Amino acid sequence: MAARILIVEDSALVTDAFEVLFGEAGYEVDSARTVAEAVELSKRKSVDVMLLDLTLPDGNGLEVLDALRGPDRLPRATLAMTGDSDPDTRRKCLEAGCTDILVKPVPIRDLLRQIERLLA
Amino acid sequence: MSMPDSPDSAALRRRLSALEAQREEAQRTIDELNSRDALKTQFLSNISHDLRTPLAAIITHAEILREGMLGDLNPRQRDSVSGIVNGGQQLIDMIDEILTYVRSASDQVTLVRTEFCITEVVDQVRLLNEALAARKRLTIERVNGDDIPPVYADRDKLKHVLGNLIGNAIKFTPDGGRIWISLSRRGAEADELLVEVGDTGRGIARDHYELVFREFAQVDSSPSRPHHGTGLGLAIARKLVELHSGMIWVESELGKGSRFFFTLPLNPPRD
Repeated sequence: MAARILIVEDSALVTDAFEVLFGEAGYEVDSARTVAEAVELSKRKSVDVMLLDLTLPDGNGLEVLDALRGPDRLPRATLAMTGDSDPDTRRKCLEAGCTDILVKPVPIRDLLRQIERLLA
Repeated sequence: MSMPDSPDSAALRRRLSALEAQREEAQRTIDELNSRDALKTQFLSNISHDLRTPLAAIITHAEILREGMLGDLNPRQRDSVSGIVNGGQQLIDMIDEILTYVRSASDQVTLVRTEFCITEVVDQVRLLNEALAARKRLTIERVNGDDIPPVYADRDKLKHVLGNLIGNAIKFTPDGGRIWISLSRRGAEADELLVEVGDTGRGIARDHYELVFREFAQVDSSPSRPHHGTGLGLAIARKLVELHSGMIWVESELGKGSRFFFTLPLNPPRD
């Protein structure tokens, strides 16, 4: 079965682009626009990789990880997506349990390669 | 019973009261300017974030096309889509420059110091810029520096400073010119590093030595100016060098090229 990727992002434009990308690359793709939607969806479906935007309409993206902490709820890997490469943001993401931090726009070849590696 | 005021003390009191009113007025002006500056910073930060998001989507879509994920492209189509990716990336770089400026201007930048070899960083930045320079048949070389000891500084920030100085040199040097980077030690105890980025470009008039380091300033700011950019590159370079307790300046003559210098203490206090 294809691995499932959850895109947590409030911009429909960015979500559309990722849906095309991961769909064409053969993944199952889901998307959520808010912290609440992401938490609800992750409880319902098992997510392999979560792409997590940090600025969401109802809070900071890292709150998704806080809410999901517990047995078998967290995705196998979480890639935080941010608009800046500030060392402080980076530290907070890693402390919150993100696997890595990507600065948008992430070159798609690098992104696909990284997800492949995380799922191997 | 109070004594009547002497003419002198009455005049003194009036003067004091006038001074106090002036001080209050000055304080109000300072508060007003600070609040406008904070608004400007917030605006730049918001607009940068909001511009970045749709641009990220455009670049990702264009990359999907360029990689042939939605079907093969012929070479002309691929070139055209690559143009979208490159143009988008250039815009992202400019937005990042604005964000860096906003942060440095509002003292939100902290240095993450490590010990590293500065010549390696110079060579990295040089290599990153080589393709751009080659388009104008410019040479970029590091002329010395193998004997410079490791520096204790923020590697990324210095890379940014060097990138801005070399980027500017490329922008303002006509085809076939030369750009060089020189590193030396100076000061009574040779405890300061002096970095020079020189070029054979069109040069800067003495009157503009200070102006070029001012934010949003371009010596030629007309809409038809040949070189576009945010006008923040050197302002950011100055902020980042000053954060390291260094100095930055330019020496130049019109038509005879420019030499930008910055210093860094070689033995800054350790955290």
